[in-house]
Order: sequence, then structure tokens, then C-alpha cells
Amino acid sequence: MSPESQAPRWEWYYIAMYFYIGGVSAGAYFIGSLVELLNKKELRQVSRTAYLIAFPLICITPVLLIADLGQPVRFWHLFFYTKDGMPYMNLTSPLSVGTWALLVYSGMSFLSFLNVLAGEGRLPSEAIKKFHTLFNRVPHKVYAAAGSFFGFFVAGYTGVLVNTTARPLWEASDPLFGPIFITSAASTGAAALAVAMLWQKSTARDAFAHLERFDRVVMIIELVLIGAMIVVAGRYAAPLLTGQFGVMFLGGTVLLGILVPLWLTWRRAASGAANDSMAMLAAVLVLFGGLMLRISLVQAGQL
Amino acid sequence: MAKGMFVDTSICTGCKACQVACKEWNGLPGEPAHFHTVPDRPYPVAFNFTGNSYDNTGKLSATDWRHVRFIEQFNEGRTEGRWFFSSDSCKHCKDAGCLNACPVKAIVRTDMGNVNVQQDVCIGCKYCIPACPYGVISFSEQTGTVHKCTLCNDRIHNGLGTACAKACPTGSISFGEVEDLKKKADGRLAQLKGLGFLKANIYGYSEAGGLNVFYLFMDDPAVYGQPINPVVPQRRLFRSAAITVVTAIAIAAAAIMSFRERGIQKNKEVTP
Repeated sequence: MSPESQAPRWEWYYIAMYFYIGGVSAGAYFIGSLVELLNKKELRQVSRTAYLIAFPLICITPVLLIADLGQPVRFWHLFFYTKDGMPYMNLTSPLSVGTWALLVYSGMSFLSFLNVLAGEGRLPSEAIKKFHTLFNRVPHKVYAAAGSFFGFFVAGYTGVLVNTTARPLWEASDPLFGPIFITSAASTGAAALAVAMLWQKSTARDAFAHLERFDRVVMIIELVLIGAMIVVAGRYAAPLLTGQFGVMFLGGTVLLGILVPLWLTWRRAASGAANDSMAMLAAVLVLFGGLMLRISLVQAGQL
Repeated sequence: MAKGMFVDTSICTGCKACQVACKEWNGLPGEPAHFHTVPDRPYPVAFNFTGNSYDNTGKLSATDWRHVRFIEQFNEGRTEGRWFFSSDSCKHCKDAGCLNACPVKAIVRTDMGNVNVQQDVCIGCKYCIPACPYGVISFSEQTGTVHKCTLCNDRIHNGLGTACAKACPTGSISFGEVEDLKKKADGRLAQLKGLGFLKANIYGYSEAGGLNVFYLFMDDPAVYGQPINPVVPQRRLFRSAAITVVTAIAIAAAAIMSFRERGIQKNKEVTP
């Protein structure tokens, strides 16, 4: 461990926020594309909603990332090495590989977004229609599979990025941030879909039961991973378990973001009543817990 | 071929000539003193001075590329004590965490083995900062980029040694070929051990894959504020990525199971 290492001083409202929003988008996209790839016609509502929320969400993230740079106008250096003008990727840097993955994922989620609009005849202009027909020669499932893969990459590389540093908490909890971020992305993605579908008063009851079941499994995996992370980090977990980040992490993530939603969905399943407001509350709590998770893990490592 | 430095802390006198030479040669600005008033003092007091130590910067930073660390260990009555000095800087690691982490190739290694930041390439993402186990590389709000010791890149490529080594009055800092310096260090270590300093040790032969700037310490490296078993963070990258991929596969499996029809239909049978 290296207590001498310095903190990067990443602001929570840029970097942790990006980790969160990127995760929600990628998680939702993954669920949507999986439903499409499994050919679940009756769950079409899920993939439609997923594609409609994944792209707008991922559009926010480059703004956050660029705003955090010390030299924001040089953000394109991430793609081209300025000394020879050639495309550049550093395989030992998760940040470099992840930037490329984010670019590919954004492209795929854009195409899926267009595909949904085109299917409903809502493409706004001729140019966009032409663009869509150009890409429509390849079956959409190919994009969905690629987008799903890179989406997972976007959701998980952020955890690997934070773990491959010398900060005591981040080094001690290696390699569990990647798994935790990926499970949180899947869980918050499912919750975002649930919120969006409840909001639209969707009638796809079946779809809803599937989403809830998935979220339940993922939340249990997440809980196990968080437990393992606290054990692995040992005494270096102190900044995460005490003070303001302790409140955020234990209260916000573990209690409000995982245990309470698990209890709510379990009660709902046991009573058998279709209680939408309870489902909405559970999903909103999951989304809140995911945000608290990113902020506490990223900021506590910088203390 | 690689150039480096050997810092023999046993003969450092803490004069800070190296700190001054570094600032002079590299044109680094001084730290602005921030004065404020303290209740029972009539004069303004600077709050960014260490105040309780002869150590005047406390750490390395974007404008302090050399830092003479003062280790002042005294007992309560100040009757006994020991006073160590250690001139710290970038170690120019053979496997450098900052260089591995840089996403834009702003951090490069030159033909002389030193690790440099190209100021016109750096985007200020700050990812190299936590990737350094020694807390060397630092961000500057003024330039929006990171800065650190260059091993006097301009001097060494023109046949001169580093400014700090040149200025050192006791020969505590020596510049040269890493292999020659190692021989010198081994000789000095043997001499000290012969004199009874059994805790003396060399820091930087095997630490984090070897350091081109290495040290002779009179006590445990932790006493001198250096990490005991530094690990190049990227050496854990493969394991970290592999376990994340395994989790991703598990989540995908969980999703396929959850979106099957069977369980839901069973639920339906139970609920009515």
C-alpha cells in the first residue's frame, strides 16, 4: 500500500457522476439488447424504452468528462497522438481503452435510438432518414450485440480504472470495483427502465415482473460483492465506512439502495398485489443507491 | 545506458541546495505565501509554511520537483533524538505507473531512460497522479497539466548532470549511469554495515521493477516516507479486468435466466 500517493482530486459532480450515468445507460442498453437478441416479442416494450433512454443519457457523459480536464480543448488527444497524427490507444491505461469503448458504445446506442424512432416513423429529417437506411443494411441485432458488449465495457472499465492506482483504498479493494460497478450498472439500468415504464403507465406487466426479478438477483450479487470488498480492503476501508462517505455508502447504498428495495420487492411479490407506487419507490431507491455508491467509492479513495 | 541518480542520505546535511538549484534551472516559481492573522500575534502569519519543521515544502508538487524531507524524531524533553534528511524526487521508474496510465502519450521515456511529461500533449485528466505510488507527479491549476522532475532532460542531453547533483555540496546526490551508481551504492552500503549501521539499506533496486533514482537509507524506508512494497498499479490490471469480465458473464447469465418465461409463469400460478 502506498499512503504517499496523491489523490487526483476528481470532482464528484464530474467523474463519479459520469461513472453513474454511463453505468445506467449501459445497464439499460444491455437489458434492452438482450431482450431483443433473445427474440422476446412480448417484451418489446422493454427494449424500446431501453434504447430510448440509453442514448440521451450517454450524450451527457462526454460533457462531464471534458469539463473535468485541465485542458478541455485538448480532449481529442485521447484519440490521436498529436506528434504523429495517428490514432492512439494505450493498452495499459484503462482510461485510454475505455474512451475508445465509450466512443463505440455511443455510436451503437445512437443507431439503436434511430432504429426505434424509424420503426415508429418519427425520424425528424430527410438526412437522418438516409443515414438510417444506410446503416439499416446491417441487421439491428448486430449493433445491439456490439453495443451490449461495449456497454458492459463502459460500465466495468471505470471500476478497473480506479482499482489500478496506488491510492490505499483503491489498491486494497482491487479487483472488486469493476465487478461492483458492473452489477450496479445492471441493477440501476433495470431500475431506470422500471421507472421509465411506470412513468409511461406501461401496460407490459410481464416485462415488469422480469425486470424486477433480474434486479433482485443482481442486487443480491452486488451485496455479496460489497461484503467481499469490505473484507478484502480490511483497515484501508476506513474512509468508506466512517464519516460522510460512511453515511453515503452504508446508509445510501447498502441500506436505502439495496436492502430496502429488496425488502420492498419481496413484500410486493409475497402480497401478490400490483402496487405501482411501491415498485416506483423501490426503483427510485435503487437509482439513488447507485449514485451514492459511485460518489462514496470514488471520493473516499481520494481522502 | 539508462541515466539515474543515487541519493546517499547518510551524508545529506539538509542544506536544500538541490531544491534551490532545481527551481533555478527549471524556472519553477516559488510557492506564494498566504498570510493570515492569528489572534494573539500582532504580525501576519503564513499558513502554508510547515512551521513546526525545517522541512519547508512538506511534499513534492507541480512546482517543487525536489523536496528535502526532514525526519525529526525527538523525545519529549528533547534530550535524545535523531535527525535524518532525504532529498526526494521522481524516481524515473523502469516500469513507470504514470507512463503506463497516461491515455494520450504525454508521458514518455527518452533514450536516456528518464520519464518526461510533454506539456503540449497533456490534457490534464489527472489519472497519472494516483498511478504514482510515491505521490510525485502533480497537477498545476495554472497550466492545467501535470508536472514533475525531468531528470534535467535538457542538461543530460547536453552532457551535463542534473542541476541538483551539481549543486550538492556533500556528494549525497550523484548522477550517472545507473550501473555505475549501483556499484558506488553497494560499496557505500558495505562500508556503513562495517561501521555498525546494520539497518542501512538500498531502496530502489527491486522496488516496483527497479528505480533509476535510488536511495541509501539509514533506517526503514517508511521512516523516510517511502512506501515499503510499492507495486506498479498496472501489474494488477490483467487480474482486475479478468475478474470484471467474469462478473459480466455472470450478470449476462443472470439476465438470460431472469428473462426466461418459465419462472414468471410459475409465479403466475402461485399468485392467483
